[in-house]
Amino acid sequence: MTELKYVGKRSRPEDGLEKVTGKARYVGDYFLPEMVYAKVLRSPLPHARIVKLDASPALQVPGVLAVITAEDFINHSNFGWPVKDAYALAWKKVRYIGDPVAAVAAVSEESARAGIQAILIKYEALPVVSDIHHALDPDAPIIPDTDAPGTGNLTNSHLVRFGHPDPILENCDVVLEGTYFFKHQEHAYLETEGALAIPEPDGGLTVYANDQSPFINRDNLVTLLGLPVEKVRVIQAYVGGSFGGKDDIGYQSSAQAGALALKTQRPVRLVLTRTESFLASYRREAMEIKIKLGASKDGELKAAKVNLLVDSGGYASMTPLCSWRASVHAAGAYRYQAVHVDAKSVYTNNGYSGAMRGFGNPEALGAIEQAVDELAYQLERDPIDFRLQNCLTTGDVAMTGNTVNQTVNLAECLRMVQKRSDWDRKRNLYASNQAGTLRRGIGVACYFHGSSLGGEGADYATTTLKVEEDGLITLTSGLTDYGQGSRTVFMLIAAEELGIDIARIRIMRPDTQTGIESGPTVASRATMVGGNATRVAAQRLNQVLYWAAAKAFHCQPNQINRQGEIFYSPNEESLKFDEVTSLARRMGLSLYVQGKWQMPVFTWNFDTGTGVPYHCYTFGAQVAEVEVNLESGKTRMLGVWAAHDGGRIIFPQGASGQMYGGVAMGIGYALTEHFSYYQGYPQSLNFHDYHIPRANDVPPIDCNFIQCDHVDGPFGALNLAEPMMISTAPAIANAIFQATGKRWRTFPLTPQVILKGSDNPDLDTSNACKRGLGIPA
Amino acid sequence: MKIEFTLNGKLTKVEAPDSMNLLNLLREQLGLTGTKCGCDTGDCGVCAILLDKSLVYSCLVPVSHLEGHQVITIEGMQNLDGSLSDLQESFLRNGAVQCGYCIPSMILAGEALLLQNPNPSHDEIREGISNVLCRCTGYQQIIDAIEETALIRKNKLKNQSEKDMEIAND
Repeated sequence: MTELKYVGKRSRPEDGLEKVTGKARYVGDYFLPEMVYAKVLRSPLPHARIVKLDASPALQVPGVLAVITAEDFINHSNFGWPVKDAYALAWKKVRYIGDPVAAVAAVSEESARAGIQAILIKYEALPVVSDIHHALDPDAPIIPDTDAPGTGNLTNSHLVRFGHPDPILENCDVVLEGTYFFKHQEHAYLETEGALAIPEPDGGLTVYANDQSPFINRDNLVTLLGLPVEKVRVIQAYVGGSFGGKDDIGYQSSAQAGALALKTQRPVRLVLTRTESFLASYRREAMEIKIKLGASKDGELKAAKVNLLVDSGGYASMTPLCSWRASVHAAGAYRYQAVHVDAKSVYTNNGYSGAMRGFGNPEALGAIEQAVDELAYQLERDPIDFRLQNCLTTGDVAMTGNTVNQTVNLAECLRMVQKRSDWDRKRNLYASNQAGTLRRGIGVACYFHGSSLGGEGADYATTTLKVEEDGLITLTSGLTDYGQGSRTVFMLIAAEELGIDIARIRIMRPDTQTGIESGPTVASRATMVGGNATRVAAQRLNQVLYWAAAKAFHCQPNQINRQGEIFYSPNEESLKFDEVTSLARRMGLSLYVQGKWQMPVFTWNFDTGTGVPYHCYTFGAQVAEVEVNLESGKTRMLGVWAAHDGGRIIFPQGASGQMYGGVAMGIGYALTEHFSYYQGYPQSLNFHDYHIPRANDVPPIDCNFIQCDHVDGPFGALNLAEPMMISTAPAIANAIFQATGKRWRTFPLTPQVILKGSDNPDLDTSNACKRGLGIPA
Repeated sequence: MKIEFTLNGKLTKVEAPDSMNLLNLLREQLGLTGTKCGCDTGDCGVCAILLDKSLVYSCLVPVSHLEGHQVITIEGMQNLDGSLSDLQESFLRNGAVQCGYCIPSMILAGEALLLQNPNPSHDEIREGISNVLCRCTGYQQIIDAIEETALIRKNKLKNQSEKDMEIAND
């Protein structure tokens, strides 16, 4: 790889200064004159028909200025994609505890709270669907009321058909069958969801939101409020973490605040409380994954069959797409002769599920990586050797039947973590007879993760660059940054390609009025798609500058040499960057450019379950070392070693930060994060009953990137935000197996599971009901 | 009620309802929004500030407890000339900042720790910041930043005392 000036060098996060000084403004930090506060009335029942809703008494409460219900929106506030089954405020029925029903704007939070308490509402409780196994029973209560793609409570189904696994499995020397369970995981970003809606003098609306994708938010507002698109502007405020979690809930909050702002003609701020956020926002799908996996006695994986049953909760949100991503990864990063996958998502009254970091893949690979490990132990093979024998290499056929032509460094990742973790010595040491209360173990898992959206949708982005009169260069992107560092990545790429001092570049906040629509900021696609768009824009701007310089030098553009910001003619005449831009202006050339980049087109056939699901993948492996206390059931993390194969690294501190953060989230997923429902009642309402890892729960993490220049990425970069957490949980489960000799095939592996084998530690129905009913306003 | 306390080095007089907590006083009445709210129940720590040099959750401090005490928030962490403190610089250098929401409290947690223990081990840093939750960073680069600052301060002290020794010897 050639060395570059900015790309791959230590650099500071673009917005770091505002953040370390406390000056960065998040939605809750906005205080405007005349601003009023919104509160939302939420369902205390998991499934009920609204038989009476009279919101008018709220208006009698002193300080209350407006109240809204579904009737205050176009089409009863119905929205949603890919399934249009969501509402800004519930219409006719509620489908989960926390479902929003009405919203109030008042001069203070207290008045707003009193306002929603004054609303008259009568529910008729409906039977609850809480067990995914019974959601499709013929007599199951039906949850959706709109045209879902399935029938009854079926949200969607997906399939993968590569060869014929049944006859192969019949002839395999060893066949493993296992069922693996995954609980919901809460994003638990430290900043809750919110929006500030401001009515404009022309009847329009400006919304500052902590959403992921402002253009989708804008389009929803246009549809729900019946405003022309040019009158709605969405600006992304600083976002205090998202991890996939601030899409649909963000659009819902923005619509509520927006409608109230239009009604009151005052700025309206809505910020959810933590408990509201836990109740009302979507989270990672719970899943049950059944695997049948066959191998020959010499350790060659032959065929796999996987069944996924996915809990979509009360609404579809991104579950149809998450379950698709899960289905096309479900047999893991290995060579097979045949693979079949069948996935079904079902509606229940367990909150609702949607996008979260990894988008179905942490579950899919969480299951297969435990199964592959079990098979390795059955065959008395070292788990890393077994994976090295079977893992994808360049030119192999993946589990979906497509050939992976990119450079694959998965084996290198496995060898890297093997060496860095001192795997061979520790595995031997812990395999010998351990005695006493504290038992140690070491485990491995590896992953592949389809880059960007794949078959999930159109995959493009646009960056604009403009040279301002003062010599600064303004950059906009339609993709956003909620902490992952993409703004810094775009600036580094632009400076590198333009050959200029990075201090010249100013990046605008994401804003639907200054940026160009670029699809959603999801699927770890900002670096690859947004980065390429930035590079294209920079190349276009460079072309203009080279023309200007060539005219001044009386030479051809390709005869010009560059040394940083200085342009040299073949005769060693020189021009500074600012001189060249002035010349370009005098030539009448525009110094505003747009660069658009689109992923190469490929096809996945959803009906036949065949095709190419992704243009390219990232790969990686992790080793986890644990110590299990057999008396308390507690697992202490001793270390994690991670290696990621994602092309060239653009912003090293940002990339490492993604890896550390992903591993920590994976540790929580493996050991403590237990978001469960009992009869539709959530069992966690705050951080004291939902434990995300604290600093003293996270061990030292050894962070490694296997770098190469990937042909499709900007300067060879692929992507990395989501994949980092995928292998952590199964590596921990596999380490716990070495320590204890037991496999529970469930996450999280809480002390209750380790001690009692049960994963239902706190199903206190009376308490849960009470707490569920006592929803804070 | 009327309260007098020292806020970021300045004597501050406020009038606030008895029931108000320090978090709301800072954010809503005094306009200091660098201190964040993450849960309002004393679990997450992103509202942590320094009260008489100790790290406390501002959502759990009633305004009535403030009389005569010293409060430092992120707005009071920069050097007197407005430049970043060594710890703030170190957070940026080490890439310790992602979404940034916990960062004000993390910086104060680091400062409180270094005040009590200028030479903390890795484990002591982990313990020292474990009252503030972060969902983005996995804590590693925050720990690196605090460790680096401890080292910088130690070297500064050493250089200073060597200088003092030279002056004394002259």
